[in-house]
Parts: sequence; structure tokens; C-alpha cells
Amino acid sequence: MKLYAYCFTEDGDAPSEFLTGIGGSQVRVLKAEGFSILVSDFPTETVPINRHNVLAHSAVIQRVLAHTTPLPLRFGTLIAEEQLRNYACAKREALHEKFDSLRGCIEMNVKLISQAAQAVVRQHLPQPADKPGTAFLVQKRREILGSETRIAEAKRLAAWLEEHIGDLIKEASIEQSRTDKLILAASHLLERGVVEQYRARLKTARAERPELHFLVSGPWAPYSFANIELEFKSQFGVS
Amino acid sequence: MSSPFDQIIITEGGEPVDEVELSLLETLDHVLNRGLVIAGEITISVADIDLVFLGLNVLLSSVETAHEVLHKRAVNDERTGAVNEQTPE
Repeated sequence: MKLYAYCFTEDGDAPSEFLTGIGGSQVRVLKAEGFSILVSDFPTETVPINRHNVLAHSAVIQRVLAHTTPLPLRFGTLIAEEQLRNYACAKREALHEKFDSLRGCIEMNVKLISQAAQAVVRQHLPQPADKPGTAFLVQKRREILGSETRIAEAKRLAAWLEEHIGDLIKEASIEQSRTDKLILAASHLLERGVVEQYRARLKTARAERPELHFLVSGPWAPYSFANIELEFKSQFGVS
Repeated sequence: MSSPFDQIIITEGGEPVDEVELSLLETLDHVLNRGLVIAGEITISVADIDLVFLGLNVLLSSVETAHEVLHKRAVNDERTGAVNEQTPE
């Protein structure tokens, strides 16, 4: 039987309370190489993606986050105990270094959504012509200009955001221009003690840019800062 | 007042909202899209879910996008239903 792994914590930091994991299983602590790894027994070879399982995975990590800063594993990590121990042994130094950089921190996320970029593009482009070839080129030009406009706007917003909260954050992971609407998605690593200050700063920033839609969430475990290797590129497109 | 370590979602109006689906999307964005990866050990099942779910980067990028997807799906369902009704057995 494989183990479903939720997260790594530094030895002694794992919560002692009873935690229920995926499939209603009891979460237990596996100690290896100075780490406490939260796992539960998992009877099958694959983990179905559904609301219940995703929330169960998240809930375990959030409970740990209330006590300490874990290294959260990505959803669906099924592994044999021996393999997990081998991994902890092989990556021991890197994992300890990662804990050193994340200790006492949490992750906050802010998404900035605007409709302005697309509107600007529409103003400067002709309407699609009747001829299919011309219409195709106009559409292509619109896509290129729209993308350039969004990237430029994202850079401006990232700099503007940096002015407001730059001194509060230890590290940032910025995604630009994911869609027409979502201009910027930022993940911020910050000390637990400055969460309220972070929120207050964002509230001030929001007042300056009423045309932007702000979506702020957190605190999360440092999902965006946990990897010790290159980002996993999944064949499923969920990289 | 909520705990500083409760998860919150804030809209442009500044008020936290009880949007279960929105919260779920944010959770999905984190647990499926991020986190420490032990390469080769991610084994997720996709057999019993809609394939659109696989485009999580797109689906999760904005609530508006998600709403558009749901709307299109509803329209498609209506069309499919209409076709099925017209198809003789």
C-alpha cells in the first residue's frame, strides 16, 4: 500500500492533534532525516481529483500551517514509504535550506483583474473586414497588440504593487498576462506577523486604482515557494 | 473579527465574501498547480472528470473565465439536449 503525502515539516513541528486526510483516513507522522512528513495510507494507485479530496488535502496543510510553516506537497503525491525515505535522504540538504528560507512565513496571493487593456486595443484597430484574409490578419494583429498591451500593463502594475508592499515581502512570484481579464497574479512570501499590515496596504492600494478588481487570498502554506527543483511540467497541463 | 490566519477572499468592495466556489478555485489553484513535487510520483485520476478541468491554468485564472466556461457548457448542454430530442430513435 502506498502513502499519500501531504507535507514536510521540521522535526517536532507536526501537530499532535488528530487529522483526517483524503478518504477519511487518519493522518500520521513519518519521521525521516530530521523531518516529520504527514502521510496517510492510500489503498489505490491513483488519486481522483474531486472537491472532497482537494479540500481534504488542503485542510490538512492548513491545520499544519496554524502551527508551523510546512513544505506542502502537490496534490496527488502517492509514494511508497521506502521511496519517501530515500527522497528525504537524497534531498535532505536542499529541504533544510528551503525550511531555512521559509521558516515563520506564509504565502498571500493577489490577483489584479482589469478590462482596460482589451478596451484600448479595440479603440485602435479597425473592425474586421468582409474579406476572410483581411479579417484573419486584423484578428492576428489584435491578438498580438492585446498581448503586448497586457504585458506592459502587467509590468506597470507589478512595479506599482512593489511600491506599496515591497518592504513587507520576502519573495515574490509574479505571473503576468494569463488571460485578457487577469492582468497580474502575484504570490507573496511574508512573515506571519505582517499579514494584517499587508492587507491594510493592499486596501490602500485598492483605493488608488478603483478600475482594478482585486482578489486577495491567504494565508496559504508557501505553495509557490516550496519546490526545491525546477517546476514540474505535467503531461496533464497542470504545471 | 476573524483570525489573521483564516483564509479570506476580498472583492474590490473590500468586504470578504462567502463565495464557496471562488474559494474552491483558489484552493485548486494552489494544491494542483503548486507545491513541492517529488518528480514522477504525481498520480492523479482524470478518467471521471470533464476534460476542461485539465486546463486549470485557464479555468482558474479568473472567476469570470470560469463563469464563461460554465455558461458555454450550459449552452452546449441545451443544444445537445435539443439535438437529442430531435434525433429519431
